[in-house]
Amino acid sequence: MTTMSATIETNAFVGYPDTLSVRAGERIRFHLGSEQQSQVDVKFVRVRCADADATGPGIKYEELTSPIDGMHDVSFHEVPCGSSMLVPVDARLAPADAFSFGCYIWPTRLLDAPQTVLARWCDDSGKGYALQVARDGVTLRAGSGHAGEPFEVKTGVSLLERRWYWIQGGLDSTTGEMVVQQCRLAEGVMPERRHEVRATAPSAWQLDSGGPFTVAAHHVSLSTLRTTAHYDGKVEAPRIAEGLMSIEALRRFDDLARPGLADAALIACWDFSEGIDGLEVTDRSANRLHGTLNQLPCRGMTGVHWTGDVHDWRLAPREYGAIHFHSDDIYDCGWPATLTLDVPANWRSGVHALRLRPTSAEAAARAETFITFFVTPAAGAPRAPLVVLAATMTYMAYANSALRLHAVHFEVLTERLLMLTGDDIYLQEHPEVGQSTYDHHVDGSGRAYSSWLRPVLNMRPRSQPGNLAIDTHFIDWLEEKGIEYDLVTDVELDRQGAGALAGYRVLATLSHPEYYSEAMMNGIMAYQNAGGRHLALGANGFYWRCAFHPKAPAAVEVRRGMAGTRTWESQPGEVHLAGTGEPGALWRHSGFAPQKLIGVGFAAMVYDHAGYYMLTPGSADPRVAFAVEGIRADERIGDFGVRIGGAVGIEIDRWDVGLGSPPHAVMLATSHGLGPGALPTPEEYRTTVHGLDGEQNALVRADVVFFETAKGGAVFSTGSISYVLSLSHNGYDNNVSCLTENVLRRFLDPMPFEVPA
Amino acid sequence: MMDHTSDPNAARYVIDPERTELALEFRNCIRGPHSEELRKLMHRMRWGAFPGRYLLVMLEPGRRWALAQMPQERGQKVKVFHDVLFDSLEDAEWHVFKLRWKALTGAELNLD
Repeated sequence: MTTMSATIETNAFVGYPDTLSVRAGERIRFHLGSEQQSQVDVKFVRVRCADADATGPGIKYEELTSPIDGMHDVSFHEVPCGSSMLVPVDARLAPADAFSFGCYIWPTRLLDAPQTVLARWCDDSGKGYALQVARDGVTLRAGSGHAGEPFEVKTGVSLLERRWYWIQGGLDSTTGEMVVQQCRLAEGVMPERRHEVRATAPSAWQLDSGGPFTVAAHHVSLSTLRTTAHYDGKVEAPRIAEGLMSIEALRRFDDLARPGLADAALIACWDFSEGIDGLEVTDRSANRLHGTLNQLPCRGMTGVHWTGDVHDWRLAPREYGAIHFHSDDIYDCGWPATLTLDVPANWRSGVHALRLRPTSAEAAARAETFITFFVTPAAGAPRAPLVVLAATMTYMAYANSALRLHAVHFEVLTERLLMLTGDDIYLQEHPEVGQSTYDHHVDGSGRAYSSWLRPVLNMRPRSQPGNLAIDTHFIDWLEEKGIEYDLVTDVELDRQGAGALAGYRVLATLSHPEYYSEAMMNGIMAYQNAGGRHLALGANGFYWRCAFHPKAPAAVEVRRGMAGTRTWESQPGEVHLAGTGEPGALWRHSGFAPQKLIGVGFAAMVYDHAGYYMLTPGSADPRVAFAVEGIRADERIGDFGVRIGGAVGIEIDRWDVGLGSPPHAVMLATSHGLGPGALPTPEEYRTTVHGLDGEQNALVRADVVFFETAKGGAVFSTGSISYVLSLSHNGYDNNVSCLTENVLRRFLDPMPFEVPA
Repeated sequence: MMDHTSDPNAARYVIDPERTELALEFRNCIRGPHSEELRKLMHRMRWGAFPGRYLLVMLEPGRRWALAQMPQERGQKVKVFHDVLFDSLEDAEWHVFKLRWKALTGAELNLD
């Protein structure tokens, strides 16, 4: 036991940059907020090591001078989470005569409190109309003109989660009649069930809110267009039509209109199966009252007409007419820009951070916030021979991971008590900032999107030591060795393809480059085939096929297919990305296993204790003599390391020609010392049997692999996430450091490699 | 949508409060390797939904920790025991082991 002393408060300020990476000489904006402070002391730093662990190098950075250093005002801003659809104000959406409106729903989180499915409603004025759902059924609401005193009629019949319903409301202004209907659609052994309740409003209503029409939320006020009562679940084919209609009559608009059959009674019918890859919603009525989506709900979702025959929405979009809205979707906080920095052209590329401290010295000693961004080389600046690729797509996939807060299995996985940072505690207490693509929405569905336009708490100095913090151990090692480098990120590789790497002799990818778009995979392959040398320092890389959303480019979209190590699974038929249509599954199952790119691919997770490497007989091959120089055959390589205790740990990769490893590759070292807590990833076995663990299973291993590529290039892969955590051991003088330096120095040498005959 | 790694009730091993030799084995070798029976016991203790879960808050990464407990729902405050501090992860593991032993068996663990 010991005594407690003051720790550093890391969220006295929160914020985010408008762009994750910026060229030196170009502009970046920061959007800041604070619940506690009205002023902030600003400084920029260039990060060498972001891992605070006392057993490692510790946090290291260099303070920079910028034109905006010093005091700035800062204020509090809310995180406006919850997705919705909005149709601009149009008088046709407040019919003077009778009308009906309805849609299909598949609710996923029914509460006692109502959630708004369809509305043209304003809380402040108490005007408008709305269709809402709750545990106890569907409510039709009409405005009285007095806030908090709507006219309502309810079905009073409980709804079930994850079942399809048709729900409908009707309002007749001439008679004051209100009709609400709910129809559970037949499914499996459950027959169709219909319920209808009618009532008459006690006095004249006021149905024109004067605001936009909304789906999955309604407006609190029209001055700020703030939304509330967000709905969790799918919505399909909302529509509004003249007259008090039967369910059959309103559902008839499901049928595609034949030429010349545009129905004058139809005011609007929003077809979510059109433009699935975008954020616009098409009204296929003659009025063309199109809408837009806010905060990135999930499209490409199976609808009420899904047959199960097709799993790709591009092949049968009519079967994918649903959008899944979540009350905790968040794409863009939309805060005003607090700081604008024209990055000095002479700043070296690398991992940078905005450092925020309270203005008083006393408070500054207790509170410090970092917001990470990446500076890439200035346009036209001379390039270093080595480029480090920061895995920003992966950082985004993990952004605000709450696994250690909420996952059932996480303590079993790690075989130790879970440890929270102040950031984890903030995330628990502020779920509105949104979690990662490893987590679940509040309704239990998997999170498919993660964006940088919100506070990201685990990609910065002093955060939970994963991803970026581990990667900076290599940055720290480069600085220690005095090896010059540039840095670019996944964003540049995704947007520019191989052009992002052009001109560099050596590419270093880091500890866990797991999430890759097609442009990124092909960009690296093209780089290697053009003679580039690739030092792949991690494991479980090049694994998930995913993409930045073309219309929401700050967000990565991930679908968890039916295989792979994953914390949630896509619903049947929902594996294809909405943004690009690609299958959001493993690259291995798209015919491009990581072995094809770097010689090794994901084999196992290691969470009980780390292992180490030993050289193999292959290490005697003269082609790899440069790599193993100074390392004895009987020597344990990496039997040490920060936090993990060994260079073979966390997740590991193996060589496999059957999965695409080049046949001429040399496996020069392989792992030893793994135990029962080293377990294969699910795609590595076809059926469960005893003996799958690292003590008994020869395929649970990390392999170090080298191979030459065309035009003088080469690839060297180390096959373990924890590899870089060993670099700093013994004052950077150790055999992992030696192996890495041997390879990097040779890769920097322009003398070409030759593929063996 | 439950699967075997997300169902909080999937661990069904029943801890026998008479098997204090397993607690002794854990105390003597916190990090393992453990006997098969102790592995089952640890699996049961570590498995479950987050409400009420004991865990640690890092005060100084790699050096000092405080005991903490998760609340019932997302958005609620984590309870931090500011008077239950550790400078050894082994001490922390043993402390929580005893808390869980009592919670799961109803009996205090007394090895001495």
